[in-house]
Amino acid sequence: MATYDLEEQEQLAALKAWWKEHGGAIILGATLVCAAIGAWNGWTWYQRSQAAHAAVLYDTLQKAARASDLKTTREAAGAILENFPHSAYAPLAALVSAKIHFQAGDLKTARAQLQWVIDHAGSDEIRSIAALRLASVLLDDNEPDAALKILEAKPHPSFEALYASQRGDILATQKRRSEARAAYRAALEKAGAGPLRDALRLKLEALGEG
Amino acid sequence: MFDFVSKHKRLLQFVLALMIVPPFAFWGIQWTQRETAGAGEVASVGGQKITDQEFSEALRQQQDRVRGMLKGNYDPAIFDSPALRLELLEGMISQRLMMQYAARNHLTVSDEMLVETTMSIPAFQVDGKFSRDRYDAALRNERMSSEAFDSALRRDLLMQQLTGALSDSGLASKAVSRQFARLRAQQREIAEYRVQADAQLAQSKITPDAIRAFYDGNPARFQVPEEVAVEYLVLSTDALLASEQVGADEIRAYYESNISKYGEPEQRRASHILIAVKRDAGDAEKASARERAAQILAQLRKSPGSFAELAKKNSGDPGSASQGGDLGFFSRGMMVRPFEDAAFKLRPNQISDLVESDFGFHIIKVTGIKAGKMRSLEAARPEIERELKKERAGRRFAEAAEAFSNLVYEQPESLGPAAERFKLTVQRAQGVTRQSAPVAALNNARLLAALFADDSIKNRRNTEAVETGPSVLVSARVLDHKPASQRPFDEVKGDIAKRLAQQEALALARRQGAERLDQLNKGDASAVRFGATKLVSRDEPQDLGPEALSKIFGSDASKLPLYAGMESNNGYVIYRVSRVVDVQPDETRQRSVQSELGRVGGTQEFRSFLDGLRADANVEINKAVLEKKTQ
Repeated sequence: MATYDLEEQEQLAALKAWWKEHGGAIILGATLVCAAIGAWNGWTWYQRSQAAHAAVLYDTLQKAARASDLKTTREAAGAILENFPHSAYAPLAALVSAKIHFQAGDLKTARAQLQWVIDHAGSDEIRSIAALRLASVLLDDNEPDAALKILEAKPHPSFEALYASQRGDILATQKRRSEARAAYRAALEKAGAGPLRDALRLKLEALGEG
Repeated sequence: MFDFVSKHKRLLQFVLALMIVPPFAFWGIQWTQRETAGAGEVASVGGQKITDQEFSEALRQQQDRVRGMLKGNYDPAIFDSPALRLELLEGMISQRLMMQYAARNHLTVSDEMLVETTMSIPAFQVDGKFSRDRYDAALRNERMSSEAFDSALRRDLLMQQLTGALSDSGLASKAVSRQFARLRAQQREIAEYRVQADAQLAQSKITPDAIRAFYDGNPARFQVPEEVAVEYLVLSTDALLASEQVGADEIRAYYESNISKYGEPEQRRASHILIAVKRDAGDAEKASARERAAQILAQLRKSPGSFAELAKKNSGDPGSASQGGDLGFFSRGMMVRPFEDAAFKLRPNQISDLVESDFGFHIIKVTGIKAGKMRSLEAARPEIERELKKERAGRRFAEAAEAFSNLVYEQPESLGPAAERFKLTVQRAQGVTRQSAPVAALNNARLLAALFADDSIKNRRNTEAVETGPSVLVSARVLDHKPASQRPFDEVKGDIAKRLAQQEALALARRQGAERLDQLNKGDASAVRFGATKLVSRDEPQDLGPEALSKIFGSDASKLPLYAGMESNNGYVIYRVSRVVDVQPDETRQRSVQSELGRVGGTQEFRSFLDGLRADANVEINKAVLEKKTQ
């Protein structure tokens, strides 16, 4: 072994002492950090693999919905909601399935699917979409008051105009003309330029006001 | 020494492995995905940049599409509008937002889905079946690698997952749809009364003072815009084509080296017997081989049927001897020259004399001929000539472009030198204004701006060479300049008088119409004669415009008849609504309205979804970059 001068030996001794005192903590810390990284990556990996499984089912569902195949749509949506309720595909599947069932006149299933989205979806925007549609289904199921109630919840800000317009539509079918007018006017205030504005003007006109 | 290190080497290695390797293993991918900051950015979407380059690429694709649609009428200047650029950018931002949403939520497109979709794209199919060749050709055409195509398709499919779920799944209530359908179907019986401006012309009196005042007050209206007469030069691949010379021998060489393009060459099948002699063998050895070969040939001449048998016994070509000498089919260029020459001269089943090649002595028998289907050199000549000229002109354009630009700049007093150097023709055009030119070659915003620059007009200098299209450079020079001028009063006073009279008549008519409407509403219908009645609805508005519809259907119909009036282009019109007919739309109509409303609703909800993502994502647009591009 090579020899070291005094100064170096002192440094070494200090280093060893320091390591003796803190080494354990450093190793522990490093291990914890690595474990946390590992756990986070594991969680992301898990989510991704769940999504990948759901994606395959969702593909089936999309095709079935395009072909208006009620049975396959329902089965695929059921499988996604049951097995991958936390994946982002679940609310998407429920929305598609609701539309297909609504079209086929199965209001009960449509309601259940949309309600599921409102209860479970992680995105405010998607919950707002489901609420707007649930209100339509409830109205057709002869529950106008329930429909209006759904729309009382505060939507994501970008949905305020659509909520107000939908309220106006429901009120108009109930012959509550002045309330409908107020709702349409509120919608006009929130709506940007575009087809929604034109439609609202037309509906206001029809209620006897230009 | 360093006891600690040597004692704890294993432990340290482990710690190092934990500390160094994992970050790379776990994060490496994300690091490479992060965009590099710096270069020009057009927008930032939730921390992700849309770079100048990406935007230009999207713009270029859009331009290509529009160019394809408009063909010759295409003017790149239309893309200089900031509004259009902004619209394109907005589209790109929406795409980014959707992609970020998809990534956050782990939406995926599996490889199987990708393959399945690719195979179902009609552009890649021949007779309804996926064709690999067609796929390759289509991608080559778009100058796209298959990786780039896959990733673009993956992106599209991801976005489809979102639009499919959110937009296409829109639904509308039956009750609301029924009401809406009824609203659109309701009929109202109307009659019209018009006050026409023309009928009031006689009443309008225009004084000379008014005419003068109008002339003085609207100088811009009587301006003749500044215009120039110019000469110009166009340097393009097409223009260079004309001066390219291609020699006959070049065409022949091209034909021969690309022979496969011009059809199937002739193929022959032959058998041979080889008496092998090395090329560098001595004369004695060669002589003895020749003698042996001659003996075999003599036997063959006696009994030509024994070729296969003799080949098996004597041929020194191990590959073919066991096959009775058979070599299979071959075309020119595949055999050594003396062999080939002999084989392509023989008639079928004729046996050759001794043929000497580098391998030794051959005796050849042709056993089959497949005639080639060739286009002759003569037939292919024009095509080859064009091809070669185009290729050369394209190559030359790159160098020529720079020399051309320099030449028109360095000798700014004339286009002649550049014309001579590149054998181009100087062309002329008149009536070129700042806004437009009567010839397509000059209709380019940058070129027109250059033409009206001081240097061009005062000093009559060549403009810089402006790229007006892909591989097209134009330089122009002003020959004559007419500054903007004012048309003299006497020339235009007649028109002004007519115009003012019309204006006044229109005002009179409108005033009268409004008065009549007032009288009608007070119950006095004596001055008004309505035309024939007719039934109109929003679904069937006949010739009514949106404003008229809104007047007719927006008025309270509880008291009939009701009167509604509005200004029209040439006067005033009053509608009398005398009857309201509620129409019950049939089932089909209701259903079509319902699905229409569902679709519109879904689109609006999706729009709001994107607006929501956008509000949450912090989107910034670099307006300055958009503006800058307009120059």
